[in-house]
Amino acid sequence: MVVKKEFLACSMLLFLCMLTAGCWDRRELQERNFVLAVAIDMADAGCQPGVKAGQVPGVNRTETFFQPHGAKRYRLSLQLLKLQADGESKDNTKTYVISNTGESMLEMIRDMLGQSSKSLWFEHLQVIIISEAVLKQTGLSEVLDFFIRDSEIRSRVKLYVTSGQARPFLEYTPPSKEIGGMYLADISRLHTRNIHVAGARTDLGFTSQYLDNNADPVLPRIELADKIVKLGGIAVFKKDQFVGYADEYAVAGMKMIAGTEKSAIVTIPCPDDPEHQVVFELYRHDTRLQPHVDGDNIYFTLDINMYGNIGELQEDNKAQNTMDPQYLRKLEVAFADEIKRTVFYAQQVLQKQMRVDGVGTFARKMRAYEPDVWEKVKDQWDETYARIPLIVSVNVYIENVGSHQ
Amino acid sequence: MTNLEAKKYMSPLQLAIVVFVTCVGGQIMLSPRELLESAGQSAWLAIIIGGVAFYVSVCLMLKLGKEYPDETIVDYAPKIFGRWGGGLVIGWFNALFFLQIIEIFYGVGKIITFYMFDRTPPEVVILSLLVVCTYCALQEWGTILRIQQILFFVAYSMLIIVWMTSLLNLQLENLLPLWPRDTKLVISAGFSTWPMYSGYECVLLLLPMVYRHASLSKLVKTMGGAFGCLTLIFLLVIIIIIGVLTVDHGKSMPYPALTVIRSVELPGTFIERLENYLLLAWIPIVFDTLAAMMFFMGQVCMRQYRQVDHRPWVLLWVPIIYVSSLLLDDQQLYNTVNKYTLWAGLSFSFGVMPLSLLVSWWQKWRARKDGG
Repeated sequence: MVVKKEFLACSMLLFLCMLTAGCWDRRELQERNFVLAVAIDMADAGCQPGVKAGQVPGVNRTETFFQPHGAKRYRLSLQLLKLQADGESKDNTKTYVISNTGESMLEMIRDMLGQSSKSLWFEHLQVIIISEAVLKQTGLSEVLDFFIRDSEIRSRVKLYVTSGQARPFLEYTPPSKEIGGMYLADISRLHTRNIHVAGARTDLGFTSQYLDNNADPVLPRIELADKIVKLGGIAVFKKDQFVGYADEYAVAGMKMIAGTEKSAIVTIPCPDDPEHQVVFELYRHDTRLQPHVDGDNIYFTLDINMYGNIGELQEDNKAQNTMDPQYLRKLEVAFADEIKRTVFYAQQVLQKQMRVDGVGTFARKMRAYEPDVWEKVKDQWDETYARIPLIVSVNVYIENVGSHQ
Repeated sequence: MTNLEAKKYMSPLQLAIVVFVTCVGGQIMLSPRELLESAGQSAWLAIIIGGVAFYVSVCLMLKLGKEYPDETIVDYAPKIFGRWGGGLVIGWFNALFFLQIIEIFYGVGKIITFYMFDRTPPEVVILSLLVVCTYCALQEWGTILRIQQILFFVAYSMLIIVWMTSLLNLQLENLLPLWPRDTKLVISAGFSTWPMYSGYECVLLLLPMVYRHASLSKLVKTMGGAFGCLTLIFLLVIIIIIGVLTVDHGKSMPYPALTVIRSVELPGTFIERLENYLLLAWIPIVFDTLAAMMFFMGQVCMRQYRQVDHRPWVLLWVPIIYVSSLLLDDQQLYNTVNKYTLWAGLSFSFGVMPLSLLVSWWQKWRARKDGG
């Protein structure tokens, strides 16, 4: 009887092993095609929305499919990782690019399985580059909807806008031989040290958040020329509609208003020798943007306290002594004036010319600190915001002069 | 030989752990979106209001239980409301567990399929979890209690550690303004947090195991501790969701808590896909809630029909639970069931319980008067 029970128990255990070993959802690494970067262009240089599939000139037969609905509007390109035993292919590339044309992103991606021997895996997607031509035709939310909705795609995917074609970025091989998609994503990670790059709060998650909050997103601008990729400036959106570009100086001002910079370089002509420059390197700041309501008037104050070093002094340092407190005070005042100019430049470009509240900085403050007033003005915020004055106060503290006077 | 697992007594602290573990289940992932929709920026306040309100309800339950020592609600409900009325209250009580169980099974099936096992049909996920929960619910209370105590320390600490990584993305300004513009709305949203706190009704079944070891005031204090911890954990969830996503963004997604954890990046580490770690901690939490609730359902039926073994009843409920969970795969039906479950839960806590207590006092007063 005991033997029978033991036999039964062993059989049960063996049967359980059959059920529990392995995994229903397993996918081997070598059975996946890792998508590292996505480029979204218009389907063809001459193609306009509404043109039907068969009428599109210059679309390669292998990059299209019969489409019962919609137009051959977009060209979607994917950068895929080459998984090879020896690490690198003979042509020194680690990635390759496939493309498709259509209207729905998901439909194009599924059709691209016809070009791929393995399933496309978006879990490690690093960057999405959108061509300006696409954004002139359609809203950002329409282009991004699939990427926001899909469960594989992470929130921290970088988003860039380019004035030219987006696909060449995917074909670009960095001189360092880094993997293309990783390289493109990583150049914006250094935004904390580069005041010209709007890297904070510009990824897919934040952009989706701004679109849901009816705020105005901004995205870093990326350009490729002479085999060099450069990130700088921003593409500016009114809700999800592309408005234009703001330059690096405006980005610096915008970051100073929002207080998102971690480090910055501020350059001014030397006070006593304007032919030469002196550079302030920021390493700590205390920035407070506050809304105020006085009757029917709304205004903002921006108080900036910046602490840093003299990073570079091109003036004859025998003529000027950076150990001299009076000279340092003169520099501090001059740097503070320059920071004010930077802030006012950003305000002029974004608030007055483009009428855009970049990443909803001002709206968020109003909603947080003046909720009653916000309830009254939120429906006309675009008009109200364009008239709101900004009072700026800047103090600069030079705490170190470097290792030389 | 004595069955050591057939536990007859518990300490008040053990009861508090059971209440905490039974309440915190699937709903910490399933409920936040509804809460953001109803309470908006003041969701944190709604959670505190809910915590206080349901704690008051538990205190009424404790008081009622003290009126009938050594008896559970199944035994004293007919004494208060008569045979049919009592039967209705017992059925209502059991229906609360049933509705919660099927909603949690359905929600867990959806979440696990969407975020973890996208090739596995939800029916298989639900079935697997149901098998494990049934196995646990078939045990004696001593075993279940021990599992709950172990998971209280293991799963919750893991869940909290993983969840706290989302503090990296927290923006305090998203939490402002703190105070609500519409107080009535927040109060009503406070009561709509019942699905998060539900499960505390189990004290009506478990009190006979505790009352001889503790005074009413001690029980009230211990339950206060349990509800304090519940409120704290729900606050932690909702504050981080709002702080990371904002209210408008959070309510635009079905499971904002998972979106929050998916946004966490730990640069320079090999750890990624943190939502999987969170789900791995969450599954045992859901398991112990469901197992306990299934056990309670079996116990109610066993006592109602004067039997000595709850296990046949648990097994009888299994196919009903499975089929009902699958039937919820219709958004309209799910919303309707959700709404009626909320009303059933609130009216039980704030209608049936005070009424039971009043009728019981009146009966005792009348008995004293007749006797005197």
